[in-house]
Amino acid sequence: MELKFFWAQVRDLTVASLKSRYRKTFAGFIWVVLNPLMMFGVQSLVFKTFMRIQVPDYNLFLLGGLLPWIFFSSTIQMTTPLFVTQSYLLRSFKINPMVILTSQVIDNFINFIASFLLILLPFYISSDRSLSALLLLPFALVPLLIGTISLGITLSTINVFFRDTNFVMSFILNLLFYITPVFYPKSYIPVKWQWLVDINPAVYLLNPFRSVIYFEGNAFWIDLIKALGISILLMCVALGVWKRKRNDFYHKL
Amino acid sequence: MTSTTSSEILLSVKNLKVHFELEHYQNNNLREVFISAITSPIEYFIKKPELLHVIDDVSFDIKRGMRLGLLGVNGSGKTTLCRCLAGMMVPQKGSIKTEAQVRAIFDIGTGIMPDLTGRENAFLLARLFFPEMKDLRPLVNESLEFSELGHFLDIPFRQYSKGMQARLMLSLVSSQPTDILILDEVLDGADYFFQQKLSVRMKNFIKSTGATIFVSHSADQVREVCDVVLVMNKGKLGFFGGVEEGLEYYHKNMAPTLNPSI
Repeated sequence: MELKFFWAQVRDLTVASLKSRYRKTFAGFIWVVLNPLMMFGVQSLVFKTFMRIQVPDYNLFLLGGLLPWIFFSSTIQMTTPLFVTQSYLLRSFKINPMVILTSQVIDNFINFIASFLLILLPFYISSDRSLSALLLLPFALVPLLIGTISLGITLSTINVFFRDTNFVMSFILNLLFYITPVFYPKSYIPVKWQWLVDINPAVYLLNPFRSVIYFEGNAFWIDLIKALGISILLMCVALGVWKRKRNDFYHKL
Repeated sequence: MTSTTSSEILLSVKNLKVHFELEHYQNNNLREVFISAITSPIEYFIKKPELLHVIDDVSFDIKRGMRLGLLGVNGSGKTTLCRCLAGMMVPQKGSIKTEAQVRAIFDIGTGIMPDLTGRENAFLLARLFFPEMKDLRPLVNESLEFSELGHFLDIPFRQYSKGMQARLMLSLVSSQPTDILILDEVLDGADYFFQQKLSVRMKNFIKSTGATIFVSHSADQVREVCDVVLVMNKGKLGFFGGVEEGLEYYHKNMAPTLNPSI
């Protein structure tokens, strides 16, 4: 029953926030696609044309990593300060903070879907990959969503106690971008440095998406199981932090 | 007001204890944590957290029909107590036993999406405040009518004055009978006339069901609305009983803590 209320609240909040954004300006929607499009354009130019990374179908390879990365990193940056910016609402009456956070993530997820449809799909169709592999995509998105929501809850809660967490996080995300195989394949990394990838939770969450888009579903299920494992672990951490810090959370808000 | 309290216990608080970890109030950012962990690592990692006891062994019962006035100086644990009753905080020790639905409201200037209209915000608030309601329209429409905000309902919420925000929120909150309603210093935001109108609505709805807890600093308000007073004194239950005795206790015991030279 609780879960049913939860989704009704998330749905209404998400719809309202979309309404609020697009009432102001429809250009908001163009921005949503323009931002990843420019990131993609510049990175494709630099890595494929200037630095000549030798990966077949590089544009598709890049998009398969870059789009979920943009979703992941921009969502983390948006949600980390969320509980503090919404403190007035959270203090006003009993409302599950997870509702607000989940709605923000889903709002961002809709942007992700838009950039997928408008940027990635044309590339995918013009390559001669099988369209049926795309049927695996919804599965690939489940751990990405769960993991991002969970990490968002943890970081946003920490940010209530340490108000500079969001600055530290944007710094960390900047670093993380370079050691996450987004614009280069994992095989480029010397063996003695591969542990850097193995301990990076973002890698696990992103992998299934590229596995569908670029590798036509090869090794997909193994990637998916690993991603689900990591996302469930992140969820346990989030719930643990929330449970332990709940009282202090309201007191510090 | 005459007493309508029955003997049926709606909510029972036993030996409630809540504490916070004091370190969170010393270090406010990761940079400070980093510095203190570097400068005195041993102390940082073995130090036991100091505790701040905000509610210390409080027990009382709330009976059906009770209109409880909750008094106490700032920092005496009133809001923490209300947050526990509302299920937002979880006490470290003791218990809160209740079958009743508890709704609490701690602030009234709550617009969720300032760019949306008052009406749209009202629907959103209703969804968050009454999650179990399927069809919100009758409830929201009735509340909006009651709020008398008229054409202001269709302007963005960000343009609302404090008083208009209070009207919208309080109309919504009081629209639906609740077993226990907690109002934490929220009546002050509305203007006098709306307070009068609201107080009639509240009284009617208290009569039909439940119990109410008012947190207030105004003796007049407490006299008008409440039939029982609870005074929190430095985290402990200072007084629980009749209104006049409660107010007397409050004024006698709290006044000396203020420094007369200021």
